[in-house]
Amino acid sequence: MNTQVNVKARQRLFSPTFVTLSVAVVVMLALGGPSVQAQTTAAPIVDSSITIATNGTVTDTGTTVNVTGSVTIKCRRVIDTTATTATPLVMLDFDFSQLKGTTGSGKNLRTFVTGDNHATELRPLQASDTIVVTIPYFDSTKDVLSASSFMATANLTFDVSTGKLTNGSLTYGTNVFTSSGVGTFTVN
Amino acid sequence: MSDRNFFLSPKASKARLREAENARKNRWDIIKSHSHGQVSRRDLIKMGLFTSAGLMLPISGLSPFASSAFADSNIPTGLPPSPLFGVLAFSTPMPRFDVLPRQPVSVLNPVPTAQANTTQQPVDPALGGGTGPIEGRPPGPIWAHQQFTQLPPVIAIQATMEGAKVNNVYNPAVPSLQNSGINPATPIPFRFHPGLPDQNILKDWTYNGTIPPKLMLARYGEPILFRLRNKLPVNQNQNGGFGIHTISTHEHNGHHGAENDGFTGAFFFPNQFYDYHYPIVLAGRNSINTTATDARASGPTDAGGLNKIPGDWHETMSTHWFHDHMFSFTAQNVYKGMAGMFNIYSGLDRGAEDIVDGVNLRLPSGRASVSGKSWGNLDYDVNLMLADKAWDSAGQLAMDIFEFDGFLGDRMTVNLTYKPFMEVERRKYRFRILNGSVSRFFKIALSDGSPMIQIGNDGNLLPNPVVLTKLDEQGIAERYDIVIDFSRYSIGQKVWMVNLAEHQDGRRVSKDLSIAEALSGNSDDPCVGKFLEFRIARNPAQPDISQVPSTLIPNPDLSNIPVARERIFEFNSGANQTTNDPVSSFFGPWGIETDNQGGTLAADFGRISAAPRFGTREVWTLKNGGGGWDHPIHIHFEECQTLARDGSAANVPAWERGRKDVWRLRPGGEVKITLQFRDFGGMFMEHCHNTMHEDNAMLLRWEIDDGGAPFLRPLPTPIPTPQGVNFVAPTDILPTAFD
Repeated sequence: MNTQVNVKARQRLFSPTFVTLSVAVVVMLALGGPSVQAQTTAAPIVDSSITIATNGTVTDTGTTVNVTGSVTIKCRRVIDTTATTATPLVMLDFDFSQLKGTTGSGKNLRTFVTGDNHATELRPLQASDTIVVTIPYFDSTKDVLSASSFMATANLTFDVSTGKLTNGSLTYGTNVFTSSGVGTFTVN
Repeated sequence: MSDRNFFLSPKASKARLREAENARKNRWDIIKSHSHGQVSRRDLIKMGLFTSAGLMLPISGLSPFASSAFADSNIPTGLPPSPLFGVLAFSTPMPRFDVLPRQPVSVLNPVPTAQANTTQQPVDPALGGGTGPIEGRPPGPIWAHQQFTQLPPVIAIQATMEGAKVNNVYNPAVPSLQNSGINPATPIPFRFHPGLPDQNILKDWTYNGTIPPKLMLARYGEPILFRLRNKLPVNQNQNGGFGIHTISTHEHNGHHGAENDGFTGAFFFPNQFYDYHYPIVLAGRNSINTTATDARASGPTDAGGLNKIPGDWHETMSTHWFHDHMFSFTAQNVYKGMAGMFNIYSGLDRGAEDIVDGVNLRLPSGRASVSGKSWGNLDYDVNLMLADKAWDSAGQLAMDIFEFDGFLGDRMTVNLTYKPFMEVERRKYRFRILNGSVSRFFKIALSDGSPMIQIGNDGNLLPNPVVLTKLDEQGIAERYDIVIDFSRYSIGQKVWMVNLAEHQDGRRVSKDLSIAEALSGNSDDPCVGKFLEFRIARNPAQPDISQVPSTLIPNPDLSNIPVARERIFEFNSGANQTTNDPVSSFFGPWGIETDNQGGTLAADFGRISAAPRFGTREVWTLKNGGGGWDHPIHIHFEECQTLARDGSAANVPAWERGRKDVWRLRPGGEVKITLQFRDFGGMFMEHCHNTMHEDNAMLLRWEIDDGGAPFLRPLPTPIPTPQGVNFVAPTDILPTAFD
């Protein structure tokens, strides 16, 4: 189909001449058009999850904190039923609420918690994906205003045919953005 | 990233950019013809320009996603980028909102009346001539202000709706020092940045015709009369190519009578006004704490005390916004600028951090002892309206109204300013963040991954604060209240708010990026990355005594309130239009199925889809019927509690465990909520707040019509004309609406 020609023809319909447009509309209305039909079917949803036992260390203002605990990652695969070329996507929910951090021992033992913390991520479905998130944590004897953050890197593998999350690992580290994400300016 | 991006890269070849600009101009002719009423979308479908689902066919030279003659492969054309005219990001200060004056109600002329003022005036020939009422509110007892005698307005707030002009009366209500040095006495031209062109008077329509966006301040127990005068052109063709001059303002999400809700079919015409009566009451005022003895149910007095009021203090609200809700034109009108914010102050949320009385939560705001204001201090309580915009080669606001998946802009604005900076002090700030976009979702983090404390969701303080390093996706119309503590930084440092949500189209977020990915500059979505720069400019003059208590506002206890019934609403495409009223019905690809019967229906504000009984509680399930989209669903009138996501209460995240009025269903997802129907009645709405979906036509009407006189069951539908409002019987009543 020569679409350029068609576009030129249609452009004439939308010239400032209202009469031309109106006549065209009447003609087209007379020709009729397709009825509107439902476009969709139920979305093929596949749910899966894994739980990973994790541990690592992070450094915060000179203090090393040992981080341990299990992290459950829920995964939902959704396929767009209206666009055949669309990439399937996965919605991931990382439950960091069971993570705990400790430093010191005995009377000097300090415990850190993450609060009821989840990270939700929408990602295209692929065989493997690396996701970097930051996680807040704070001294369990203090309030959320005292929170700092550390980084987690998740390496996840998926079965792209079923959309299931099949395996994964998590590593923890110091939040590198604390310095790289901050700039300077000259104060007047 | 995928090969289907909404906007072309600025690095695209000149030939491709020229091709895209030509396609934009070709579409512009269609848009103008449609906006002038010369052709309907149904006509365009029959002309072969659109699919039966209402989507633009991929025709080269017309659709942004048709194959390009200049591409190496089958890469779509995309839209041309909005030119920046040499403007750099973070080169201009962010203006704080412009606070609308609060006056005694006695200044209003004519005097506000319970029923609409039907005094006749000549009607412009362009609107049909003859005479018509001066007030556009539907006349008679059904649309009279409910409880007008018991809750008489005390404060008048007046505004106009008009085209872009210079602001000579800017009132940020904070000292210049707290407004990044902006001198409010300097006139403010209507530009998205000082280095960008002035906007044409027909391109941008805002409250009072000016920027910055407007802010209303209210307090519990002090009813407001908001009088809005329509000063838009009488000629529908004088719209700059999109938008419509009939308007209806929704106070999102006020607990008011339906006559003040900005019902989509209660629109009014140029040269008319509409009186909105905002009682500012607590929900449950007729059944809970009716003698007003609980100090937590209160508003602040000028003397620093509490004005105790009836109602449930657990229903206290804080952050609203107001915007146009014109039937099938909400996206266009809001995009043109018809949006502002609305802060409500209470005994709990006082806006004065130094008042210690056992009720005040003392959230970051400012000191009454410094400002002399016992409530509503804005020094450290900052409204942010995020919106993506696009403009044409002349720098004029541009929109493509035929992107039915959703329209995306390619330039981030905050408070209608392109990528501004804000000077802050080393202390805690509260930010009331509104997603004021047409279709774009945001996901906000700080560039250094530092924690933020979320304290509110959709205007409701949460039961407990939640610490996060990135906020959840924020759908259109959602409000997130957060606290950022800048004391962790040094003077001279700067940090940015960053958007992590990458879009390819308006259906949904295509990918949530990490901070590193968003900052890398590799995304083809121009609205990903830094959009607001915080400059840590100084120490505060006084120590920061504000607090973020571990308990904010617990949820109302509904355990003893029986569930009267359940309803199911499924949001889908491929809607059928079973009615054909030329005013109340609209054809579009989107629609809603109610209670698993009757199929997916396109919007008709004459159709009654649900009619809950006055004084009851129901449970509603909101289902996403398709896999490829997200829908932020909004329910008017009273805040709801989220019972479950995808079938489980455990799936409701901590930041959604308070009250809400907008839910992102998420792709393939569903949400179960509970809500009550009390205090007021009338016709309300439920719709997708991706306003392109809402307008085309994912919206339904529900009503409370059995609260006694003056209501009828069912309610007649208003059909406004410049010469007066006609009432007609509902076009349709769904079988399960009343059972």
